[in-house]
Amino acid sequence: MLRHLLSTVNLFDTTKRALFLCILAACHGESGGGDRGRGLIYYETYDPRSLDPALSTDVPTGEMVTLLFDGLTQFDADGQLLPGLSDRWTADRKAVRYVFHLRSAVRFHDGRPLVAGDVKRAFLRVLNPETHGGRVWPLMPIAGAGEFAAGRASDVRGIEVLGDTAVAFTLSEPLAVFPKFLAMPVASVVPSPVPADIGQRPVGTGPWRFVVWEHDDYLRFAKNPDYWGGAPGSESLTVRIIPEPLTRAAEFLAGRVSVTEIPFGETARWEQEHPDWLKRKPALRAVYVALNNRRGPLRDPNVRRAINHAVNVPEILRTVWSGRGAPAAGAIPPALGGSDPSRRPYAYDTTEARRLLRTAGFADGFAVQLWRSGTNVELGRVAQAIQSQLAAVGIRVEIVSRDASSMREAVRKGATDMAILDWWADYPDADNFLYPLFHTASFGPGGNYSFYSDQVTDSLILVARRTVDQRAREALYARIDDRVFQAAPWIYLWFPVDLWAAHPSIDGWDVPVIFNGQRWTKVRVK
Amino acid sequence: MIPFVGRRLLATIPTLFGVLVVAFLLLNVVPGDPVAEMVGERADSATIARLRAELHLDEPIPAQFGHYLWGVVRGDLGRSYITQRPVLGDLAERFPKTLQLAGAAMLLAATCGITLGVLAAIRPGGAIDRFSMLIAYVGISFPVYWVGLLLILLFAVALRWLPPSGYGGIAFLVLPALTLGTRSIAFLARMTRGTMLEILPTDYVRTARAKGLAERRVIGRHALRNALLPIITVLGLDVGNYLTGSILTETIFSWPGVGRYVLLAIQRRDLPAVQGSILFLSVVFVLVNLLTDVLYAKADPRIAYD
Repeated sequence: MLRHLLSTVNLFDTTKRALFLCILAACHGESGGGDRGRGLIYYETYDPRSLDPALSTDVPTGEMVTLLFDGLTQFDADGQLLPGLSDRWTADRKAVRYVFHLRSAVRFHDGRPLVAGDVKRAFLRVLNPETHGGRVWPLMPIAGAGEFAAGRASDVRGIEVLGDTAVAFTLSEPLAVFPKFLAMPVASVVPSPVPADIGQRPVGTGPWRFVVWEHDDYLRFAKNPDYWGGAPGSESLTVRIIPEPLTRAAEFLAGRVSVTEIPFGETARWEQEHPDWLKRKPALRAVYVALNNRRGPLRDPNVRRAINHAVNVPEILRTVWSGRGAPAAGAIPPALGGSDPSRRPYAYDTTEARRLLRTAGFADGFAVQLWRSGTNVELGRVAQAIQSQLAAVGIRVEIVSRDASSMREAVRKGATDMAILDWWADYPDADNFLYPLFHTASFGPGGNYSFYSDQVTDSLILVARRTVDQRAREALYARIDDRVFQAAPWIYLWFPVDLWAAHPSIDGWDVPVIFNGQRWTKVRVK
Repeated sequence: MIPFVGRRLLATIPTLFGVLVVAFLLLNVVPGDPVAEMVGERADSATIARLRAELHLDEPIPAQFGHYLWGVVRGDLGRSYITQRPVLGDLAERFPKTLQLAGAAMLLAATCGITLGVLAAIRPGGAIDRFSMLIAYVGISFPVYWVGLLLILLFAVALRWLPPSGYGGIAFLVLPALTLGTRSIAFLARMTRGTMLEILPTDYVRTARAKGLAERRVIGRHALRNALLPIITVLGLDVGNYLTGSILTETIFSWPGVGRYVLLAIQRRDLPAVQGSILFLSVVFVLVNLLTDVLYAKADPRIAYD
């Protein structure tokens, strides 16, 4: 039954577009209009886990929590770190002790005033094993958090409540990006005592108040007129659950959702027919193939460089990805400090690739497996393109297609040769593209799926984490990125550019570079 | 009849136990890790190990099955690993919506399918026959998702008569019910036509005509009633399938039913949700089959259960 179900869905995904795009094209002329007066309508592709910040481990949950709650800090749509519940904070010179001062007169949706004790209790709750949350890493840098999470301590010694208006954190080691960790949904402040049903009937301080949640159907929020950051510009925000991309496009054309991401296959037509509705923004995301640095021929850096030279990235980007991205010359997206615009991507050069393979002793090529997730159709096509291009230099690629969960398990165990993946930023900082992806301590579940390990890289990443001076930190990131790039633990593919359409009936919406960067407060129905 | 129903119900217990065992073993054999799905894209090994222990996933499989079985016996299907909500509550919330969609689709299929089939059989080779068989061919050949998207584009985007997707009043039900029912309409039409063509030349139909009954009565009372058994069989099977979730239709029309719930649970390796759903849906399937058997006896007095 399982197999059958999964194969049904894959078949469904791959064949339907081809069959269908022509008909969508025929109906496209009849678009526009909109359900005015119904408020703003956003969508998610599946039901959030919960509305409890402690359970926000996926994007739908994180986005909903961001609407209802606030953290001490937050991001805007461009990924800039802004004050949140804390309007100012200070750090000592070593980036070990932080003091966050709370905004005055902030109230929860039920009228309770926010006090510094709420912050501590909210964080303890996230770390508490009873919560079964799963995403504790943003709070783990706090001294004593590990012992508390493991049940070996009754308190977290690194959190200190200073009266009602400030809270101080002492970290177990210096971490310059800590204020960005606190903008993550899991670090949102919940009232205490926590309402028993906070996952279903949340009470936060955020710009939107909870109204109703019909599972798998929609969530509705009403504006919080007393929001400390200014009340939202619209009365209500509905978030519908729409799993199918083509249905979403139809809903948008019928005026029943306010914004929609444009499916890849339809890029050209939307650009032609509705250029004024489109909004694009470089995403904080990297698309890459993890080359397992501990398996077979891929252990040799020359082989990995040869593979990079053998793949024609600009061509794949143009044909399979509708040109929606920029070829990657490193792992840090161009929008982040630490990205070096002068570094060139690996050039498409099969002669050089063959030479490198000969040097490595693989003149006749070799056989490898390339894993892809069956649920991600676009990445699957990229995998096929890579397969055919590597064949030209004698590397025989077998594509292994699995459902996302099986693939994730295999990749984390290091049981794959090559795996095509994408990495989404948790927080807008180069650290988020280096520590998880290339530090030895992040092997497997931590995000280092290529099992790249290099002592110098490890220590430089830690030095950067300790460096408070932004300019010095960014210089370090550029150096680390360069060092890793030369070792080629990945096939460096591209940094995607997100393409969305905003309905002409709304105003003030912008594509967020990070999932929790759009709070819908400045969006209006015209 | 009542002892029969009672015996059949008792006999379902081993069936359901078998379903539970197979589902449990399957879920433990397939690759994929529920804890990995809980913690998301980035996690540390300590957290993963702790969660695994808290969920008893580090215990031997027989012990895990024992825990689960004990819960089921007490009517507790457990809580979803992902949402932490009780599985039974989740199913209770979604099943009525699936029931609604399945009911609408079957109503549509039964009325249209049987009518088309009967009309086709009355004048084989005639215009209505050819038309209804064309519909039957088309309905059987077109994939569900294709029909669904076509309907959305035509009625929701181009004509704007109906909403494209979502759950709500009758307007929201029309397109998904039509999509889901198309296959049944087609299949029932062919089935009804075939059976009717066998029955119409029989002696008792001729007798009915000979004693001067109106044609309408001959067809409805004498011929159709005798054609009902295979129709009930087909309807029963389809209802069973529809009630256990129609993943494609629910996905295309954003319909919040059990099909999407099960699919997402499988994708996330949410063991309690998958197991609970399989058990729940097996019960539904068994009950629908039982109901079909009871209907046989109602339709044909020669069938008696004792």
